[in-house]
Amino acid sequence: MSNLWNLENLKPRMDVVVPGETVPAMFCNAVAMRKERILMRQKQLGIWHEWTWAQAAEAVREIGNGLLSLGLQAGDCASIQANTRVEWVLADIAILSAGGVCSGIYPTDAAAQVQYLCEDSRTRFLFVEDDEQLDKALEVRSRLPLLKKVIVFDPEGLRDFSDADVIDLAALRELGRIHAQAHPAALDERVAGCRAEDLAILVYTSGTTGRPKGAMHSHGGLVYTVQGLNRLVSQDESDERMCFLPLCHIAERMGGEYFALYTGTVLNFVENPETVPENVREIAPTVFTAVPRVWEKFYSAVAIAIRESGRIQQKTYAWSIGVGSRIAALALERKPVGTWLKLKFMLARWLALDNVRKTIGIHRARFLVTGAAPISPELVKWYLALGVPMGEVWGLTETCGASTYTPPDRIKPGMIGPACPYNEVKIDPATGEILVRGKNVFMGYLNLPEKTAETIDADGWVHTGDVGLVDADGYFKITDRMKDIIITAGGKNITPSELENDLKFSPYITDAVVVGDKRPYLVVIIMIDQENVEKFAQDNDIPFSNYASLTLAKEVQDLVWNEIERVNRNFARVEQIKKFFLLQTQLSAEDEELTPTMKLKRKLVEKKYAEAIDAMYR
Amino acid sequence: MSGTAASRDDGDLILALANVESAYGPIKAIRGVSLKVRRGEIVTVLGSNGAGKSTILKTISGILDPSRGSVTYKGENITGLDPSLIVRRGLSHVPEGREVFPLLSVRDNLLMGAYTRNDRDGVARDMEMAYAYFPILRERATQEAGLLSGGQQQMLAISRALMAAPDLMLLDEPSLGLSPKLTREIFEIVVRINRERGTTMLLVEQNANMALNVADHGYVLESGRIVLEDSCERLREKDDIKEFYLGVKDTGVRGERRWKKKKNWR
Repeated sequence: MSNLWNLENLKPRMDVVVPGETVPAMFCNAVAMRKERILMRQKQLGIWHEWTWAQAAEAVREIGNGLLSLGLQAGDCASIQANTRVEWVLADIAILSAGGVCSGIYPTDAAAQVQYLCEDSRTRFLFVEDDEQLDKALEVRSRLPLLKKVIVFDPEGLRDFSDADVIDLAALRELGRIHAQAHPAALDERVAGCRAEDLAILVYTSGTTGRPKGAMHSHGGLVYTVQGLNRLVSQDESDERMCFLPLCHIAERMGGEYFALYTGTVLNFVENPETVPENVREIAPTVFTAVPRVWEKFYSAVAIAIRESGRIQQKTYAWSIGVGSRIAALALERKPVGTWLKLKFMLARWLALDNVRKTIGIHRARFLVTGAAPISPELVKWYLALGVPMGEVWGLTETCGASTYTPPDRIKPGMIGPACPYNEVKIDPATGEILVRGKNVFMGYLNLPEKTAETIDADGWVHTGDVGLVDADGYFKITDRMKDIIITAGGKNITPSELENDLKFSPYITDAVVVGDKRPYLVVIIMIDQENVEKFAQDNDIPFSNYASLTLAKEVQDLVWNEIERVNRNFARVEQIKKFFLLQTQLSAEDEELTPTMKLKRKLVEKKYAEAIDAMYR
Repeated sequence: MSGTAASRDDGDLILALANVESAYGPIKAIRGVSLKVRRGEIVTVLGSNGAGKSTILKTISGILDPSRGSVTYKGENITGLDPSLIVRRGLSHVPEGREVFPLLSVRDNLLMGAYTRNDRDGVARDMEMAYAYFPILRERATQEAGLLSGGQQQMLAISRALMAAPDLMLLDEPSLGLSPKLTREIFEIVVRINRERGTTMLLVEQNANMALNVADHGYVLESGRIVLEDSCERLREKDDIKEFYLGVKDTGVRGERRWKKKKNWR
């Protein structure tokens, strides 16, 4: 149908690849099938180390037995507080194999949050990444009477430290080896005793208001969903993917870890969050799931590089991406592409587009997936113009990740696609809210029956809080979060995310929060992209010293205003942004304003910068 | 909140750098530095090894030509001007590692500093002044400078720069290799020179504690970029400065802490 990408490569697979009704059973069966194949790769001190399925299975057995020797009972909770790395996956599968419940804690969480999450989940075993994370646990452990042992993945710097309640992973594995000799069948019994309806994992949602809520997922729900994912676009042992988003988040946990356990796709772990672009180029993944922020970063790196290059390169790129856009537009409208245009596209690829793909590292990618946050349709179209299909998935922690997806043969940028075949999605006729029902839906929030009842109604529909529309083809479109809709003083309903997504498309803007509820006009709070704005200032001889002075420079303010004007042109007059404010501090994941996935928290930002907002209405 | 960068009034500027980039061959040492020094102030630039501190001074005094940006001294653009012409305008550079002339006597070293001047009375007066600041140099006046101790050589280097009767002195790590006691003595005299003669100082230091105590205003440089600027009084109170430059850190629950906090420069 489309001549842009090879649909033969993007087929669903309907049969069950690996049997097993629970995650550990599925893992055991997969190990038996794939033994010496590679499961994971992690770069350490500049060298990629490989983990075969057999090696991973051995480590999982030892860790699982180690937990048994320390007294883990079926249903006990163990938490993992670490960045995304091989040991996270090993500990996760080991906990589940031992009949435990696994909960993830963001490494950016402070000690007080660690305490809350451990209390709420009744954590008995806590895996921590290193001495930094260990210190948080030690700070609060006196208030955690249930906590039996802390296990450190990386004991570097702790040689002189000894504590009866803290051991490192190697020591735990040693305990496991000893335990396995005495009780060789103990772990297998736990695996066999695990039932599909048992609670498997807790995923805490970063509530923008109030305490985080622990969403409970059963083994059955997880297995049902990964099997369903392979029926959208399948992947297998020949595929490579990056594993770099937080594993505490449902997106990487499902789409990365569990999906790979099921399909055999190789998981490649990055060195650290700063080396993602470099590691992507090295691995050149064949399937790639990421959040919009990552896609925006890749795009702005290319946009800036083009701006810096010579006249001829700029012209070549402009022509090539133009050809790509035309062909992508035809493909989106499902119209035939003429031979002449196809030839031009081949030339465009040869001249520029293939190089752009290589600079990003997506030259081997069969398809890209974006999710977990709204993305600008323009950005999707850009990737399509490069000739790489980009699908969008939409879902919640509560629906175990993807609930809708865009099939590669019918992508409609700006729409999140039809319902995934494994669940039902509909729009509440009264409120416009999107509702989801299926076996992928979560078991409820831990310890919060009222909140659970608010979210899952009597008929089993999850109330997502997203407001949307559906078209004749069954494609959904998110118009906004229910809570976020702005009604200006003039009575006009405005969906801030549309404006915000367009703003974020600018290489100079990382994130934006549009404000204007019950106000005469719209204003916006903007977080600039430090790297690109610094570069702009330097290239234009605008003196600045620190971050704050950069945001205050008149030229930078003008630059941002131009970006706002560009976006404003696409909107009616009442929907246009009249004033803006640049955040003067450089925020990091530790800051309360940002979610762990680096999105600005709307409510908190509105409250914290209330004064600045008021000033924009004076 | 910051915002001080813009609010610091430009007053009587003696030196201003705007978007300066300098490189050694393909290696960019400073990647866009803008800073201001007001007349009569002591301004310090803090930074770790290889942050580009010395490169800034070399670019100001004309030893290195910047690939981008401008250096304005007393309202004139001196970017890329020959170092000898810059010295004549009253800008002296006390280089890192002293660089005294080892085979010349202390006295001749001082006279080398006055090379640009032809008012013999004034030179003689300034020589007396140097001896008054550093009496040990008078005692060693006829000795070869190479035979002086490190601290004495530093005193000589500062005095030699003073002999050009500068309005602005660039001091590159005067505490390098000196005992804490000598460091303190030298800094005391640097402050005296500043107060008594009104000589503006731009001081580059690794000894952050000392530099923050004597200077009025400070910049923090990290891999060729300025990440923080404020009055020294306020800089001393900032968590990142305390942890990364003053060695003050809470040791945490274990009584020792190896991991480093993330710098966010606020």
